[in-house]
Amino acid sequence: MAARIYDVVIVGSGAAGGTLSAHLAKQGVDVALVEGGPKVNTRTDFNTHAMPFEFPNRHIPTMKAGKPGYDSERSRGVGGKTMLWNAVAWRFSERDLRGKDYEDAGENWPLHYRDLAPYYEKIEREVGVCGNLDHLEDLPDGVFLPPVPMKCSDLLVKRGAAKLGVRVIHVRKATLSRPSHSRPACHFCGNCMAGCDVAAKYNSADVHIVPAQKAGYKLEVFPNSVVREVTISTDNRVTGVKYLNRETKREGEVRGRCVVVSCACVQSVALLLMSKSRLYPNGLGNSSGELGQNFIPHFTGGIQCFMTDMIGKPVTNDEGFLDHAYIPSFMHTRKRDYARSFGVQFGYNNRRSVGWARSMPGFGKAYKQSVRERYPAFMQFSPYGEMLPGKHTFIDLDYEKLDGFGLPLARRHVTYMENERKLYADMIRWSVDILKTSGAEIFSGTDDKPSTNHELGGCRMGDDPKRSVLDAYCRSHDVPNLYVVDGSVFPGSSEKNPTHTIMALAARTAEHIGDRLKKGEM
Amino acid sequence: MPDRRETLKIIGAIGTTCAFPFASDELYGQHVHPPPGVQSSYGAAKFFTRDELRTVSRIADLIVPGALDAGVPSYIDYVVNADDGWRKLFRESLADLRAAKFDELSEQDQVAVLEKHIDQPGDDLQTRLFRALKSMTADGYYTSKAGLVDDLGYQGNTVLESFPSCEIPEH
Repeated sequence: MAARIYDVVIVGSGAAGGTLSAHLAKQGVDVALVEGGPKVNTRTDFNTHAMPFEFPNRHIPTMKAGKPGYDSERSRGVGGKTMLWNAVAWRFSERDLRGKDYEDAGENWPLHYRDLAPYYEKIEREVGVCGNLDHLEDLPDGVFLPPVPMKCSDLLVKRGAAKLGVRVIHVRKATLSRPSHSRPACHFCGNCMAGCDVAAKYNSADVHIVPAQKAGYKLEVFPNSVVREVTISTDNRVTGVKYLNRETKREGEVRGRCVVVSCACVQSVALLLMSKSRLYPNGLGNSSGELGQNFIPHFTGGIQCFMTDMIGKPVTNDEGFLDHAYIPSFMHTRKRDYARSFGVQFGYNNRRSVGWARSMPGFGKAYKQSVRERYPAFMQFSPYGEMLPGKHTFIDLDYEKLDGFGLPLARRHVTYMENERKLYADMIRWSVDILKTSGAEIFSGTDDKPSTNHELGGCRMGDDPKRSVLDAYCRSHDVPNLYVVDGSVFPGSSEKNPTHTIMALAARTAEHIGDRLKKGEM
Repeated sequence: MPDRRETLKIIGAIGTTCAFPFASDELYGQHVHPPPGVQSSYGAAKFFTRDELRTVSRIADLIVPGALDAGVPSYIDYVVNADDGWRKLFRESLADLRAAKFDELSEQDQVAVLEKHIDQPGDDLQTRLFRALKSMTADGYYTSKAGLVDDLGYQGNTVLESFPSCEIPEH
């Protein structure tokens, strides 16, 4: 029996895979979407509104009892991380894409802002992004729903930051601030990262995948299918993917004219490294040896503080949709002794997290009073910085440690070099200055080491096939019908949250693949 | 499709539950927040002996008055029981406390013991015990209904028709 051959096989169903699948299907392309985790129902499966005391260990599990999904790195669910993301949606600017041109450090993207701008707009119109028009050169405006008002603590910081010449703006999120796109508006329950059960916040399943299927497009989802290899023919064309069923561990195969790997930065790199063949003994599309290199996750610190103006004041319901304000990059216009810059996110913990109480000094009545007074005033300040690519920060596979599918675990090696250390010290210094000028009592976090978030790079785009893995359309330099679209393709990370750019790249690549299919090039 | 104002009217009409006007769609049908959950019932201590539980309960209630009523000792039992390192530390250090007749001390003397050990550096058994008890008591109390909702006054996890603008005039 001849196996069915799809036009495009996409591995992973998150921001990139979900967007790509719907955009391709709407062009009439026959799409197979292969996802390692199960289908999840946004309305019923997440513990969205649970409270910690409902569970003996006081940790709210992601999924309701008996509902599978989101249980390990390799097996999330249809929708990927978009089910649990915080929905911050920035456009990158020309500076973010052309860092080497601007300050002779790091690497340029093989793209300019003008190449991405139409796709940012397409995504904004399609999914709904709220925000303010701020007219900042470094943070381009878009097509926005109205912004959500700032919190009291944000306004206090806004006033303080202004004294230092630093601007605080409304956050921009792919969350609806009014009913739109046949979806309800956000109702500010503060549980964005626990699975938005009304899909006011964008997730790829409810906004891209399911609507495309309901509209009758050819989009078939293979859930619970953990891909272990992208297969290649002797004439240098990928032919599809082999997977293991998440429950039975039985092997299966999906074949296609073109394969797109979109299973989140580190997992995409791992899958390609695992896909060894006679043609590519060091990993698929890795003739350059660059696969796994140039890993550039964001690095962040978290400063915890209390806004003194709010200590002892009545508690209000200010959960909102977590962070409502943002400090966009400002150091890139100032004199400094390092390359790149940072931006600051405002407390995206909700008020159910009182973990700081254990570090408050004392005990007894005075301690309890002190926690109660500071509770309405607590705020976390999280600056995010950009890392330059360097040879000590990379991803590889550990064949000594296998996961439940017998597949090697991916290892992240992160070393902060001089530039990162200087940038980190400066972003902590600025954060403390801004908070103190805003009348905050600094509680902790100023001595912490940086931690990584937003995994990016490892499979970067570039014009030079010797120094990059993909071309400007996210296509492998080596294999003409292999694409990778997700955070791994970023040659430079900016300091801005990456998902909007991942979705814009997905829209651009979908158009490109559709055109090539029409021309018969696949 | 109703506009924002009509939607708000619908939400307003039914208070803290809300109906989004998309009843035909399985995803966006009536959205009702579940009622506030009840505190999980853990039952009898699984690790601590009766004597140990009495000591732990006493210390927890001295660290955060009200911790006993909030069920914090059973949370501590849960956490300690799940980890071999904690089990060893608690068994040994609680035996030492019992040998020192901690339970029979006056409240003033018990408080003096806490003052000697809480928030102190050091790795001796007693300091490690009180450090763990402080963290576990704070965690357990401020994730309990009594601590988080009744004491701190947590108000979130509800349906708001719009995000309230700041009402403090000088902001």
